[in-house]
This record gives sequence, C-alpha cells and structure tokens, in this order.
Amino acid sequence: MSASHARRVPAGPATRRPRLVYVLLIALVVMFVLPLLWALSSSFKHRGDIFTYPPQPLPSPFTLENYTRLLETQPFWGWFATSTIVAVVSTAVSVFVCALAGFAFAKYRFRGKRLLFDVMFSSMAVPFAVIVVPLFVMLIKAGVTNVYFSLIVPWVAPAFGIFMMRQYAEQAVPDSVLEAARIDGASEFGLFTRVVLPLLRPALGALAVWSFLNSYNSFFWPLIVVSDPAQYTLPLGIQSLYAAEARQVDLVLAGSVLAAIPSLIMFILLRKQLLDGLTAGAVKS
Amino acid sequence: MPSAAGRRALAPYAFISPFYLLYALFLVVPIGIGGYLSLTEWAGLGTPLWVGLDNYTRLFGDGSFLTAVVNTMLYVLFSVCVVVPAALLIAQGLNARGLRGRDFFRLTFFMPVVLSPIIIALVFTLFYDREYGLFNAALRGFFGWGGIDWLGEPSWAKVSVMLLVLWRWTGYLTIFFLAGLKNIPRELYEAASIDGAGRVHSFFNVTLPMLKPVTAFVAVTVMVGTAQILEEPMLLTEGGPGEATLSVAMFIYREAFTRQQLGYAAAAGVVMFVIVFLIGRAANAVFGVGRER
Repeated sequence: MSASHARRVPAGPATRRPRLVYVLLIALVVMFVLPLLWALSSSFKHRGDIFTYPPQPLPSPFTLENYTRLLETQPFWGWFATSTIVAVVSTAVSVFVCALAGFAFAKYRFRGKRLLFDVMFSSMAVPFAVIVVPLFVMLIKAGVTNVYFSLIVPWVAPAFGIFMMRQYAEQAVPDSVLEAARIDGASEFGLFTRVVLPLLRPALGALAVWSFLNSYNSFFWPLIVVSDPAQYTLPLGIQSLYAAEARQVDLVLAGSVLAAIPSLIMFILLRKQLLDGLTAGAVKS
Repeated sequence: MPSAAGRRALAPYAFISPFYLLYALFLVVPIGIGGYLSLTEWAGLGTPLWVGLDNYTRLFGDGSFLTAVVNTMLYVLFSVCVVVPAALLIAQGLNARGLRGRDFFRLTFFMPVVLSPIIIALVFTLFYDREYGLFNAALRGFFGWGGIDWLGEPSWAKVSVMLLVLWRWTGYLTIFFLAGLKNIPRELYEAASIDGAGRVHSFFNVTLPMLKPVTAFVAVTVMVGTAQILEEPMLLTEGGPGEATLSVAMFIYREAFTRQQLGYAAAAGVVMFVIVFLIGRAANAVFGVGRER
C-alpha cells in the first residue's frame, strides 16, 4: 500500500529525500551491527590477532581454539544451564501471573480497582537499587540459600507485564465471548484458561520474550546473590573471565557469542509480537 | 459454596492476588526494611545500631555521593536531550513514505537491548582501548591521530559511558516513536500541506503535538531508567577513573557490598527512591501516562 502511495508523489524533492534517508539508515545499521560482527569475527581469531593495527576484518588464520578452550577449561554449560533454567521458569510463571492480573483489571469491575491499579502501576517507578540492599538482607535473614529461589521468585510479577496484558486484553477479549462462556457454565478460572489465554496469545508471546531476555541477561541481582562460582549464571561467568588476572579476552568473546545465541533466537522468532506488544501500551495511553 | 454471582465478584481479587502477595513480600517489606536500616549503622553481622538521621546528614556531606548525584543527573540530561531526540529523528526516517526494509531497520536498531549488557560492555571496553581499540584505530585511519584515553581520562570516560547509552537505548526508544508516528492520520499532513506548510513546519505543528502521549511515555521511561543507571558505568569503568563516572546506583552497590555499610547504603537508597518517585509522579501528573484515554 505504501509503495503505490509513493508512486503518486510527484517527482522533485520528495523523491530525493528517501535516498538520503536510505543512506542515513544504512549508516546506522553499520553502527549498530559492526560491534557485533567484530565480536563474532574476533572470536575466531588467535589471541594475538584480536588486537592488530590496522584491524583485520576477517580472522586469518581462522581458529576454533577459543571455543574449544572455553568449553574445556570453563564450566560454560553449567552457567548456560543455570541461566536457561532460571529464565524459562521465570518466564512461565510471570506470563501466567501477569495475564491473570491483566485480565482481571481489563474485564472486571470491582471495588478498589482504580486504587489497586494505581498502586500496581506506580511500583514501576521504584528503583531497583533501592530494594536491592534490604531484599538481600531479608533473604539472608530468612535463611534462603537456594540460588534458584533468589534469582526467580522476587521478580516473577513485573508490573509492566500486567500493564501490557491489561492494555491488550481490553481490546482483544470481547465481553460477549465471556458472557457466552459463562452461560455455558464455565467457571471464572476456566474462562481464563480456555477462553482468555488463547485470545491473548500475541501478547503472551511479547511478554514471554521480554521476561526471558530480562532474566537471561540480568547481571546486577545475580552478582549480589550468587557467590559460589559453581552456581554462576552466564553473565557472571563471562564477567569472571574478564575480571581474571589475565583478561581472557579470547574466551570472553567466544563465550559472548555463544551466550548471545539464545537471546537472538528468541528475539528473531518473536520479534513482531515483542515490538508490537511493547509499543501497544505507550501508543494507546 | 458461594453463588455464581458471588464467585464472579470474588474472581478479580483472586486473579490479582498473586501479584499483590509478591508485591507485599518483595517490594513493600524490603522498602520498610530499607527505611529502618537507613536509620542504623550495620555491617551485616550482629544487631544494627540505631543512629537516627546520622546516615542522611553524612550522605549530604559526602563528596562521593554528591559526585554520584551530579553524574547521574548528567546521564539523565544526556538521555533526555540527545538519546530521545535521536530516537525521534530515526523514527521519522523510518516512517518515510514508501520506505523499503522498514522492519529490517527497526529490528537491527532494536538489537542492542536484546543482548546482555555484559557482552556489550566488554566489547565496547575493547573498542575503547587506548592502544589497540577500534575507536582510536579509526581516528588514526581518518585523521592520522588517535590517542584518546577513552576510559582513563575523566571527561572522556563520561563521554564513553554516554556513547554506550546512546548505542544501547536509541533503537529501543525508536520503536515507540515509530508506532506513534504510524498512528498520526495522513489527512493531518495533507491538510497542513494544503495550507502551505513545509516539512519543518508540519513537523512542529502536526507531528510533535500528535506525538505528545508517546513522547511523555518515552521521556518518563528514560528519566526513571537512566536515574538508575548502573551497568554501563560499572562494567565499562567501574565508576572511574577516580569517581568520574560513578552513578547513584553504583554508589549504593559499592557502599553495601564492597564496604559493608548496609545502613548507609540503605539511606542512599531511600534518597534515590524519593527522587525517582517524585520524577515519576510529576511526569505522570503532567502527561497523564498510564491513565485511560
């Protein structure tokens, strides 16, 4: 549709402009992609070839040594497993909790709704750094030593997720469908699992990528609660390689490339839902 | 067993209860504990020692804290004045009529936030390297000179942190502006051009006013987000050189976990909480973010 639009635009400045736009956008693509390509290419270089002047764009000679050495000398798969388990469990629970609450805010009238919503919404403005210290103290005092508990449970109900779900449920779940299911004798919870969840699918996808990435990439909180190197998550493991005496840049690059793969796959598979889901709330309100 | 109507009345409370349970346990309680700790002196062992408002008076006389506040304000200012307009301009470009590959561009620009900050920070640390980094190599290639001490010289270190913020967050904000731009009816632009408005004129008289809600959302997100900035300075420079890039969140982390001054860190947290909450509330009041229509 936009292509036919463009043809109707008279020649002149209007046709020159898109060309300039392309040049600028492509320059930006280079700026955004170059660092990542550099990291990818350097991960296949020998340690001594990573820093050369002038920089060599492609590895020569090409080597897999960084990868094999990383996997042989470091518990990389352990880090990977911890990160993945934490991210998957957090995602599953938070998508469920947020969808349930978002649905309630979108489709029910109840006393105190406005206030409860405001309380929930304003919790987004509570800075993370503020609760970090007391939360850490609390977990220690309560004797919580399980890393999975500390990494997952405090973060499974993000207010942003509820907000996003409510925005989506308001327009995607017609009242008539709910009424029809009630007449058929569905319980309120059955209504949610059988009628509402399928209708929310695009938003669930968006929230799932969002929480997966948040959890999988998180660095600060794991840094505080995980002290045993055997239980490191990926970001902590990579950081430990870098912080080591010898700055193992070669291993860091190989680890970074491997660690980035799940994020990129999630993002590419669910890109449309994620971007549309993220922007829906902002554009509407 | 309650009636169907009764169950229907209770259902929403049941549905939102998991959130409020977690909210109470992991947000309200920690804030309460933080408030209490902020009035004590405590290294993590034994009983916290009650010191009243000492931590707060000490905080406002602490050069490091004030540096952290000023640095954080600089980061926020940079985000609002540079990152947000950059995102708007890129969105404007992406919204050009008949543009091909819009989705490809949009996804590529968004990619930095998908990746772990530690990966990005480490790659940029290598770029910023004085001897071997790509940035200085590029400067040498183009200008024959490239001896900038990106991470070692106080003002350049701040610039380096800001450049990383720009690289990481611009594409993320762009998608919000782009979604907002797509929502502006074409007729408004047509009407403006019939009235003889040029591009610049219609940008200021059609685009900006119509984008106000999105801009508000983006501005609040950016202010609240950048006020908490931690990863970029921590991973790039560890707050240095000296304290040139120290942020408030990093200050809290340092006091609590490397200096074991939990009470003092909690007090800094309370101050940060008040500031960020006020920014958020003020912006909400001005723009009405999150309200229905």
